[in-house]
Amino acid sequence: MLAVNQLNISIKTRRLLQDINFNIQPGELFVIIGPNGAGKSTLLKALTEEINYSGEINFQQQSIKKWTTAKLAKTRAKFSQHHQQDIPLPVNEVVMMGRYPYFASKPNLTDLKVVSESLKLTEMSAFKDKSYNQLSGGEKQRVHLARIFAQLNNEFQEKLMLLDEPLNNLDVYYQHKVLEAVKGFAKKGNIAAIVMHDLNLAAQFADRILLLKDGKMVKYGNPKQVLTSKTICDVYDFPCKVMSHPLAQTPMIVFGEEKSTSIIQNINP
Amino acid sequence: MQTKFKWYMSLGFILLIVSFIASSLLGVYQLNWNDFLLLFKSIFDDTVAVNPTDAYIFFDVRMPRTILAIIMGAGLAVTGTSLQGMFKNPLATPGIIGITSGSALFAAVAIVLGSTIKSFLPEILHYSLISIAAFIGALLVMMLVYSISFKNGKTHVVIMLLAGVAIAALAEATTGFLTFISKDDELRDLTFWRLGSLGAANWPKVIILLVINLVSLSFLLGNGKALNAMMLGEENARHLGIKVKKYHAKIIWLSSLVVGASVAFAGTIAFIGLIVPYILRLLLGSDYRIILPLSAVFGSLLLLTADIISRTTLAPIEIPIGIITAFMGAPVFILILLQFKKAL
Repeated sequence: MLAVNQLNISIKTRRLLQDINFNIQPGELFVIIGPNGAGKSTLLKALTEEINYSGEINFQQQSIKKWTTAKLAKTRAKFSQHHQQDIPLPVNEVVMMGRYPYFASKPNLTDLKVVSESLKLTEMSAFKDKSYNQLSGGEKQRVHLARIFAQLNNEFQEKLMLLDEPLNNLDVYYQHKVLEAVKGFAKKGNIAAIVMHDLNLAAQFADRILLLKDGKMVKYGNPKQVLTSKTICDVYDFPCKVMSHPLAQTPMIVFGEEKSTSIIQNINP
Repeated sequence: MQTKFKWYMSLGFILLIVSFIASSLLGVYQLNWNDFLLLFKSIFDDTVAVNPTDAYIFFDVRMPRTILAIIMGAGLAVTGTSLQGMFKNPLATPGIIGITSGSALFAAVAIVLGSTIKSFLPEILHYSLISIAAFIGALLVMMLVYSISFKNGKTHVVIMLLAGVAIAALAEATTGFLTFISKDDELRDLTFWRLGSLGAANWPKVIILLVINLVSLSFLLGNGKALNAMMLGEENARHLGIKVKKYHAKIIWLSSLVVGASVAFAGTIAFIGLIVPYILRLLLGSDYRIILPLSAVFGSLLLLTADIISRTTLAPIEIPIGIITAFMGAPVFILILLQFKKAL
């Protein structure tokens, strides 16, 4: 279980997060949404101790600060929002970095197998010997996703995968592919926390959604509880309508103003 | 990649053995292959009779010099590779960012000011006096450059390079000034510092440098994984369980130690740390797990070859080795700059 209790973060006088509380159970895919500057990435940074915070973060009933670096490297992985563009190595060597916590100087057979499985998962197998630097933005992103999956491929229970906007450069096909893979990972008794902007994808895949605005929790619950017309319109300050997704039967959010019928009549007399 | 690595490693070792033999035979005093075999045999077998002059030239002149070149070359190249990894830039080498200059500056001050106390100290301590000064100089510059050019895990390349220029200018000015006020024997020492030479090699120096470099390299050569992970950015490296700050501290201290000791014994020999990793990267890519051990072997090879060239081309005159390495290194430096221009 990942339990966040009274989490507060401020830099100088600016409060980035205020009184954040939530529990995530193993097996759950947890999605953090909210407008720009809501504190989504900051929350993930707190979960990886990249930023100073007050309050408690307990992971598997133990304060995350008490975990050893070596154990955490095999139990928790993070996909960062920004990636280095210049890594002069072949793709499979970048993915192999995800196995660095597991071997001293030479990867063993398991490590090699895990790397090729992870490449298959993000459909990057064909690129394995290509230079990372020659890939497109979306391909680079899939390389790092494969690296994250490789890092958490082990016998441990209740692992934590943190993904900060993993879908940004991906097309519809890979957005779904990646979310399905993450969902599959969570289903095995792990926890996945994703920051994303696409509310409809969040509605389709999330078990729990945390909606943030200006560093505060607006709502926390399952997609149906969080994604209501009133909340979304208020938080994003944009007209919207929540319907039911005709295929997935999940909430579906449509943004925009309703056009007056007279204009439509003018187009189709 | 593993097979390629093994292939280059074997090639490096073979070339190193060839240069080792060449270095012990070539010179004003000619030795030939049979002399070499005989001298080599005499190490293990006391009954083998050898010409005492041959033995002196071989064991007390050429051997220490050759071995010093091998140890020093390995140390300088590995240091260069480690710094490049830490600063994430191919120009971050001890020479270019001013560590060598800073080290030489402190050593020069120690030579001139230390000459009064020097006569009271035993020989081994007098080497270490200069070595300690050179180490402190290297460490101070290293920390200065690190603190001003490294911010939030990113290197400010321009500041890093300009720091090197500034420190080199200061070192040049100070050594120039010291040249004016120094006595004759100190002057000879100072000239040797500025251009670099392995001519003063002897066994005590070999042993001191051997100990320093063995210790330092045993810690630096295993950093391949950490340096690779740092290419992902510092935070991402940390998520992989790499204690980035610890590695940085390790690289800063050990590089200073290696550069300081090398400067103390051979003056400023530039560009070894730049040329070797550059060429290895061109041939094999940037995996530090491969580049680090190979740079040790090829660094030895390069410095030893440069030393052979320096003392045989214009024999009996020796060209300072710094001039030879600068002739090899400057074009590489320009090539890297041209690549930068393309990347901009």
